[in-house]
Amino acid sequence: MKSKQQDIGGREVYSSRVKVLRALISAILILYTCITIFVIVTTLLDSFKGKGDLISNFIGFPKAVVLDNYKNVIRNDRFLLYFFNSFILTFCGTAGCILLSAMAAYGIARYDFKGKNLLTSYFLIGMMVPIQVSVLPLFLILRKIGLLNHRLGMILVYISGISMSCLVFQKYFSTIPRSLEESARIDGCSDSKIFWMIILPIAKPVLFTMALITAVQQWNDFYMPMVLLGNKNVTTLTLAIYRYLGQFAKYMGQSMAAVIITLIPIIVIYFLFSSQIVEGLTGGAVKE
Amino acid sequence: MKRRKNYLIFITPAFILYTVFVVFPVIYVIYLSFTDWSGLGAVHFVGLKNFGTIFTDPRFAPEFRNAIKNNLKYLLCVWFVITPFQYFVAYMFFIKIPAYKYIKFMVFFPYVISSTIVSFFAMLVFDPNIGFLNHILGSLGMSKGAWFGDSHWAFKLLVLIIIWQSSGSGIMIFYSNFISTSKEVMDASRVDGCNEWQRFRYIMFPMSLPSCASIISMSTIWALAIFDYPFILGGAKGGISGKLDFANIVFYRYTFGSALNARSDLGFGASICVVMFIVMFVITYVQSRILRRFEYDT
Repeated sequence: MKSKQQDIGGREVYSSRVKVLRALISAILILYTCITIFVIVTTLLDSFKGKGDLISNFIGFPKAVVLDNYKNVIRNDRFLLYFFNSFILTFCGTAGCILLSAMAAYGIARYDFKGKNLLTSYFLIGMMVPIQVSVLPLFLILRKIGLLNHRLGMILVYISGISMSCLVFQKYFSTIPRSLEESARIDGCSDSKIFWMIILPIAKPVLFTMALITAVQQWNDFYMPMVLLGNKNVTTLTLAIYRYLGQFAKYMGQSMAAVIITLIPIIVIYFLFSSQIVEGLTGGAVKE
Repeated sequence: MKRRKNYLIFITPAFILYTVFVVFPVIYVIYLSFTDWSGLGAVHFVGLKNFGTIFTDPRFAPEFRNAIKNNLKYLLCVWFVITPFQYFVAYMFFIKIPAYKYIKFMVFFPYVISSTIVSFFAMLVFDPNIGFLNHILGSLGMSKGAWFGDSHWAFKLLVLIIIWQSSGSGIMIFYSNFISTSKEVMDASRVDGCNEWQRFRYIMFPMSLPSCASIISMSTIWALAIFDYPFILGGAKGGISGKLDFANIVFYRYTFGSALNARSDLGFGASICVVMFIVMFVITYVQSRILRRFEYDT
């Protein structure tokens, strides 16, 4: 049974039976992806419906486009504040985490000192301990230093999650030829200047992919903000959506609008950078 | 001589923050598990009393056993349903089925959506009163379901939703492992006239086993720490007849929700954490011993 040969151009040639099977699997998977499109499009359409329209006509186009839901969410529920909170947490948390882990990775990859391997494994503990184990102590520590229910406390916790990016950066830095730094050093560059002016610019693509995946995880985080940011003034978008879920029947229209507002930045980022997000995710896990 | 200490400048800031917010909490939670601290006032050492309560208290022990049972049930789903699914889809991308680029793009997409929004979508579809599914079933004249309110369905739906949302990451890791398979091996198989099935059976499958091992050990940790979806969909009480109760939700309920003795007992919560961590550690360890057999020597 020879189901496949190779033609001259190097492309695969399939027997008709294999072709049908491939098309069938493809069709099933395409149907599966339609779930995603269906729920997002329906939410989008529903968010423009008035209250009566929404109940009588849950699936389908709005009878008339109404912007009340968006107005309500933004004016009455301070959604812009939540948006700002999520943004600040993600921005500072990601920038700090990437910078610190790049510095640590550089220090480990480029200098020889006692306990280097021990330090490498020490920085990996974070990948083995799920956050749920340490959330209670974090709660107590932040309360002790007065940063519970403060954005800064949450940001510090995010910055400390360096394990994954540190591992990836360490791998990457060891591939940069040392001669680059040697020549800069002969020209009188200090160590920190070499790091800022030479290493970081070279590593930009890797820094960017890791920053993306870190940012996506922090932007979507639910558990830690729920425990550590109980105060309504510092609430994030994901928590705001959670509150809407609790009173879904009452605030149906508003929650549709809230979900759409939260989804838009994610969709934009995904369409622009999906391949980098995938790279950031697989970078630490691929075994060579 | 000065240069030799320069590494400290690079490492120290990360080291301090990491130690305070990642490593110290683990030690702290172990310390707390031997106390009955309520969060305020003096700390009393109570030895192993908390652990005794977890396993023997007539009210708490069955609850916790049920939660751990659900965790293990979910772990089995990860091993035998979710991971094989991810592997299959990744292989389909690798052999470039029609429209695989589009499918890849869309299958990974839910991964970047937050758990609350995914739960929102789940509600839109499965809500017994207004959900799409009952809407459609109703208009087809079929009987409607209670879905998350139905103890037969709740757990299965949870697994389905997790497959939809988070299988993308594993698929992508498997996929990037497949495409990093050396081209020479693939060409050689072609010259030797391997068919699709033989290539999978004798080349791709054995070569992908190491990556399977690393994916499985990571997803095991996450499976035992599952929280977001059952909590949002089933509530802090563990859903319909405890079908969506997991160790982490029990921990949350008793630590921040003070369900035992109607007062917050952080020491008791900490001991739940420690038991959870030990279970996690034992399973991960045993698993790594088993999976090590699949690692090839390089």
